[in-house]
Amino acid sequence: MAKNTENTQNTKQEAKLNAPKQFEIAVLPLQNTTLFPETVVPLAVGRERSVKSVEFALSTEEKLIACLTTKTAEVTGNEAKQSDLYTVGTIVNIKRMMRNDGVMQLIVQGVDRIRVVEWTQEQPFLKARVETLPELQVKDLEEVEALKRNIMGLVQEALAMLPQVPPEARMAIMSQNNPVQLSYFLASVLDLGVETEQKMLEADTTDELLSQTHAALAREVEIMQIRSKIATEAQGEMDKSQRDYILRQQMKAIQKELGEDDGEKAEAEQLRERLETADLPEEVRKESERELKRMEQLPQAAPDYHVIRTYLEYVLELPWKKSSEEKLDLNEARKILDEDHYGLEDIKERILESLAVVKLRPDSKSPILCFVGPPGVGKTSLGRSIARALGREFERMSLGGMRDEAELRGHRRTYIGAMPGRIIQSLRRVAVNNPVMMLDEIDKLGNDYRGDPAAALLEILDPQQNNSFRDHYLDLPFDLSKVFFIATANQLQPIPAPLRDRMEIIQLAGYSDAEKLNIAKQYLIARQIKENGLQENQLEITDDAINLLTARYTREAGVRQLERTIGNLARKVALKVAEGNTEKVTITENEIKSYLGVPRFYPEKARDENPAGVATGMAWTEMGGEILFIEATKLPGGSGLTLTGQLGDVMKESVQAARSYLWSHASELGIDPNEIKENGVHVHVPAGAIPKDGPSAGVTMASALASLYTGKKVRSDTSMTGEITLSGLVFPVGGIKEKVLAAHRAGIRRIILPQKNEADVEEIPEDVRKELEIITANRIDDVLNAALESQPSEPVGKNYAIPDMEPHSDAIGESLIAKEK
Amino acid sequence: MRPSGRLWYPSADIYQTPDGWLVKVELAGVSAEDLEIDIQGNQLYIAGCRRDKTCAVGVSYQQMEITYSRFEKTLEFPASIDGAKLEHNYTDGLLLIYLKKR
Repeated sequence: MAKNTENTQNTKQEAKLNAPKQFEIAVLPLQNTTLFPETVVPLAVGRERSVKSVEFALSTEEKLIACLTTKTAEVTGNEAKQSDLYTVGTIVNIKRMMRNDGVMQLIVQGVDRIRVVEWTQEQPFLKARVETLPELQVKDLEEVEALKRNIMGLVQEALAMLPQVPPEARMAIMSQNNPVQLSYFLASVLDLGVETEQKMLEADTTDELLSQTHAALAREVEIMQIRSKIATEAQGEMDKSQRDYILRQQMKAIQKELGEDDGEKAEAEQLRERLETADLPEEVRKESERELKRMEQLPQAAPDYHVIRTYLEYVLELPWKKSSEEKLDLNEARKILDEDHYGLEDIKERILESLAVVKLRPDSKSPILCFVGPPGVGKTSLGRSIARALGREFERMSLGGMRDEAELRGHRRTYIGAMPGRIIQSLRRVAVNNPVMMLDEIDKLGNDYRGDPAAALLEILDPQQNNSFRDHYLDLPFDLSKVFFIATANQLQPIPAPLRDRMEIIQLAGYSDAEKLNIAKQYLIARQIKENGLQENQLEITDDAINLLTARYTREAGVRQLERTIGNLARKVALKVAEGNTEKVTITENEIKSYLGVPRFYPEKARDENPAGVATGMAWTEMGGEILFIEATKLPGGSGLTLTGQLGDVMKESVQAARSYLWSHASELGIDPNEIKENGVHVHVPAGAIPKDGPSAGVTMASALASLYTGKKVRSDTSMTGEITLSGLVFPVGGIKEKVLAAHRAGIRRIILPQKNEADVEEIPEDVRKELEIITANRIDDVLNAALESQPSEPVGKNYAIPDMEPHSDAIGESLIAKEK
Repeated sequence: MRPSGRLWYPSADIYQTPDGWLVKVELAGVSAEDLEIDIQGNQLYIAGCRRDKTCAVGVSYQQMEITYSRFEKTLEFPASIDGAKLEHNYTDGLLLIYLKKR
């Protein structure tokens, strides 16, 4: 777009000479373009009316046409009316014309500015009478010069930012001395917008034109500066990422040389793939993606790399949304429970009730059951049966001895070797989020300075909170509300109260000998036969033999030792079979000794006869029940109360209460108060090495002391339990079933129980109950009347008259002979 | 050569001949009456106008590449050509100008 400079003046004059001051000429409407004198511009003309205009112009000798710009861009050349066009335009000379697919490609050169004087034709093309506008006048020479210099400065600035402009064009622009021409040229080159360009075209003085050019150019330059700044910044960013890329490539090459390649990328890639396909909650996905991004930026050798990888793998393997299909059929569940467990009717009923709720409201919070009972009664296997009945996975974890909260809840990832807690680990193992999870030995949780795991369990076992359980390691909320928690414990009392409160407690008592016999026959023998590789027809154990096993070779509330003992027998039989014995082995009561040696336990037998001052009580232990003897003896001339046999505070106090009661009611009971006052008394509870505590021996203490002071023996076929108060009331105690079973085992046939424990009698298996005489007592007097023989066996202590003491018939507790039900 | 307004610049060759100069100008389609030749010192000035005489009613362009407008050409000679005898004729669309020493 070079420019002619030398001949401008010449040309203008000639144009004026050639063209009359006013003449008629074809008009070409232009959209979005303004043509200026002396500029050479390509034009494309395609619209019918415009083509006609151009054709007409070409058919004249001068080949001139007037170009007028439309006021708005929306009006096309075909429909433009006179009012749509600016009246000031440019006459151009058509230099070249080519047709291309019906579109005329023109090269035109501006000649002169014109103004429309009068429109003469609208169809088939626009025509108008126009007059050429005079040369631009210079008003203020200095101002023009100043503007010109400024413009040149701006042009130089602009050119500096436009490296793509060829040097010839630069030369041409910089050598343009005519400011008007320069302005027109700049206006046609720059995209200033129709309005600005039209104003520049209409400027009548050089001053006006130049100041407009200057303003427009200044604005353009500023825009260019901003654009180039943006471009530079973008370039800078590109450079940086490019540099990073190159460095990374180099690093890869180095790693490859070192043999450290593969893996890293692939690992991250694999994880990403798994992450994309895994079914994760939104929050988990976000967090994982963040971690993955971090991992991708770390070199494989960084310690954090592996920490994050392990973490992500953990997250991906957890069953966030995966549940196992529930197939809950209550009849089926009942069948499974009956198959797996003998007896325990009420417990099975409780379990089925809980399952029924789960069935009716699948979205309900799973109940949290807690089985409490002595070892070996089947707590754990009940849990397993529940899982089987529900068709869920079963996961058992022992809490016994757990002292660290982090065991349950995990360690924060900042620690080296951090791991999730046991809960999350178990869930990963079972790979579903609704397993039956057994928390074994919940009563044996420890706690120390590292934290209290029981407190962590509070959250885990609270259905209101455990739907967003946050393991320290994961630091993501996991929904535990679908997990069916079952806890087991041997004792209720060590379990913290808030924890106990969250669970539904189901007590399992020990089994009676008859129950054990049934369990052995139905389950244990068959199982041991199988486990020791025998056939069912190779071993038989008679009922009497089993009874002997339970009585003399084991001592327990459950059946674990019994099963082990049966296993012993089975192994010995297996040896025989392996040695070639093909005959069926039947083990009878008499043969047991030859298999197992002498009996290991001599049952705590009821003593044939108690001297005065000795009473038979019953105790509850974790192993079930036992009978215990309380021995009291007078210490003539001594004073106070001596207690031995590892008694706990509660038990000691209960002895004192018994003594105080007897003392205060001495006369009614036929006791000489001086006997009590003047003699010390020693109470001993064998076996001396075993610590004992609890209030339930209260009545036994009272009986022993009463016997001591009155000289009447306590009936040796009678044992008793119950707490006493200073006013002589008998309060109920726990563990009745175990205690009574133990007493029965020991040969006791008369039992004295607190009246309020009457309900517990129902729990005692019927076969045992039948053989017992059960007496309930409301007051100590009832107990003493039932327990003591009516006549003193021999004179006790000093000679003093013992008043005749008729037993008050009405005071004898209502005797409860177990009835058939 | 730079394009200019309505001016165009035909190409020209200059030969030295035993008796003067021969100037050959690529100037087809220009009538003799539209031609103007002038000598000043060592300069030869040629100007004129190429007119589009094919234009008529009912005739329209399919393509236009020939420049129809005024032209001029100033040629410089190493020595003054004032007073030289000037002859010109058209041969095959080329304008031949002979400048002969007197």
